Amino acid sequence: MESGDEEDVEKRRIHLRPVTLCNAAPGTLHLLPCEVRVNRPAPVGRFFTPAIRQGPDGLEVSFRGRSLRGEEVEVPPGLLGYVMVTEEKSVGKQDFPAGSDNDERELVEPPEALERDFDRFIRASASFSRFTLWGLETIPGPDAKVRAALTWPSLAEAIHKQVPQD
Amino acid sequence: MAWKLSQGKYLKDASKKMKSGLMFVKLVNPCSGEGALYLFNMCLQQLFEIKVFKEKHHSWFINQSVQSGGLLHFVTPMDPLFLLLHYLIKADKEGKFQPLDQVVVDDMFPNCILLLKLPELEKLLQHVTEEKEIGKKKYYKYSKEKTLKWLEKKVNQTVAALKTNNINVGARVQSTAFFSGHQISSDREEDYVRYAHGLISDYIIKELSDDLSKYLKLPEYSASLPKPPSKKVKLSDEPVEAKEDYTKFNTKDMKTEKKNGKMTAAQKALAKVDKSGMKSIDSFFGAKNKKKS
Repeated sequence: MESGDEEDVEKRRIHLRPVTLCNAAPGTLHLLPCEVRVNRPAPVGRFFTPAIRQGPDGLEVSFRGRSLRGEEVEVPPGLLGYVMVTEEKSVGKQDFPAGSDNDERELVEPPEALERDFDRFIRASASFSRFTLWGLETIPGPDAKVRAALTWPSLAEAIHKQVPQD
Repeated sequence: MAWKLSQGKYLKDASKKMKSGLMFVKLVNPCSGEGALYLFNMCLQQLFEIKVFKEKHHSWFINQSVQSGGLLHFVTPMDPLFLLLHYLIKADKEGKFQPLDQVVVDDMFPNCILLLKLPELEKLLQHVTEEKEIGKKKYYKYSKEKTLKWLEKKVNQTVAALKTNNINVGARVQSTAFFSGHQISSDREEDYVRYAHGLISDYIIKELSDDLSKYLKLPEYSASLPKPPSKKVKLSDEPVEAKEDYTKFNTKDMKTEKKNGKMTAAQKALAKVDKSGMKSIDSFFGAKNKKKS
């Protein structure tokens, strides 16, 4: 979802607005075992959430008539989840989609040395420390890829921590 | 568009104190030479790499919205020395001592100059370079011997982490064994080293990875060993994913199967993924990372 002009992409920096990391409200996240090919608002709270039940084998719900089983998965210790939204590459800041936080509309701070005209911005719109992992018919097992991915941070730490000098 | 990304709580704490200085930039991937996305924290002067979990047929519900793709981004601390090493090896062709700002230059990825702002670079460089001080200025030259020593330490500390995470590994191995009737031998030291070597190899060029393999005295896989008949694992398409996983500890097995002429579709898929018996980090994250917002 990049916008048209790409020539400066190698030079470009995408700045994360730090204040939004502090202010991001906790969000509710579900990872579904199917591809929904759109990105848009959806009445999750009207159809999906109220239908979730605690069954003998974890959480149960159905989506498009198919039965799903799921469970809560914790974000690995020491980590925090964020939902990030890239800001539209617009000159004015008036065209945020409705519902975006107001404090982002404050006057643009004087650009610091690290920021350049062609840079872009990203902000955290929600935070999470767990999400619900759903599988079709059964809960995704211990071999599920997403579970392996969640162990990555602990390995990455070992790979990248400094080694002692001789 | 929405991103999901996990990052250290300390980032959040730090963010209270700063107005700016967290930025995503494209830099070289020290293994492939292609572009990859990294996060710089200019206040804490830290470098983070970004990995994307991506698997077919996933989507997110985020509060009252739907997000296709089901991507999960991980932001984890990165040792900048891997990136510096990329440039040092490149500069080594000229075979002389050079100041760092002449080494870390990149027309493709001009943001590489940010690397020079990281703290304690001089200390880091001692692991992989010979240095000379002339006047007040330091000059560096890549040292393969020192680098291999440094990489060996990296492998050792990764092996240690693999063992501490044993609970995870054990659980996964067990369950695979259960489904496939596959007797998995106890993890041998060599398997750990090989696995760790594979993980580290995702941050260094192929040539250095080969040298490291020799340095660690990792034996070549013996293709001549008689192999057990490849077991047909039929559990929908799951075993493909499963084997992609930690069970690659037992890569020996896969390697022999590969040479075995007859392969199931799943094994063929695996053979494609597993090029040299090395563990690739990408296997944690599914398809090749489509970095970029």
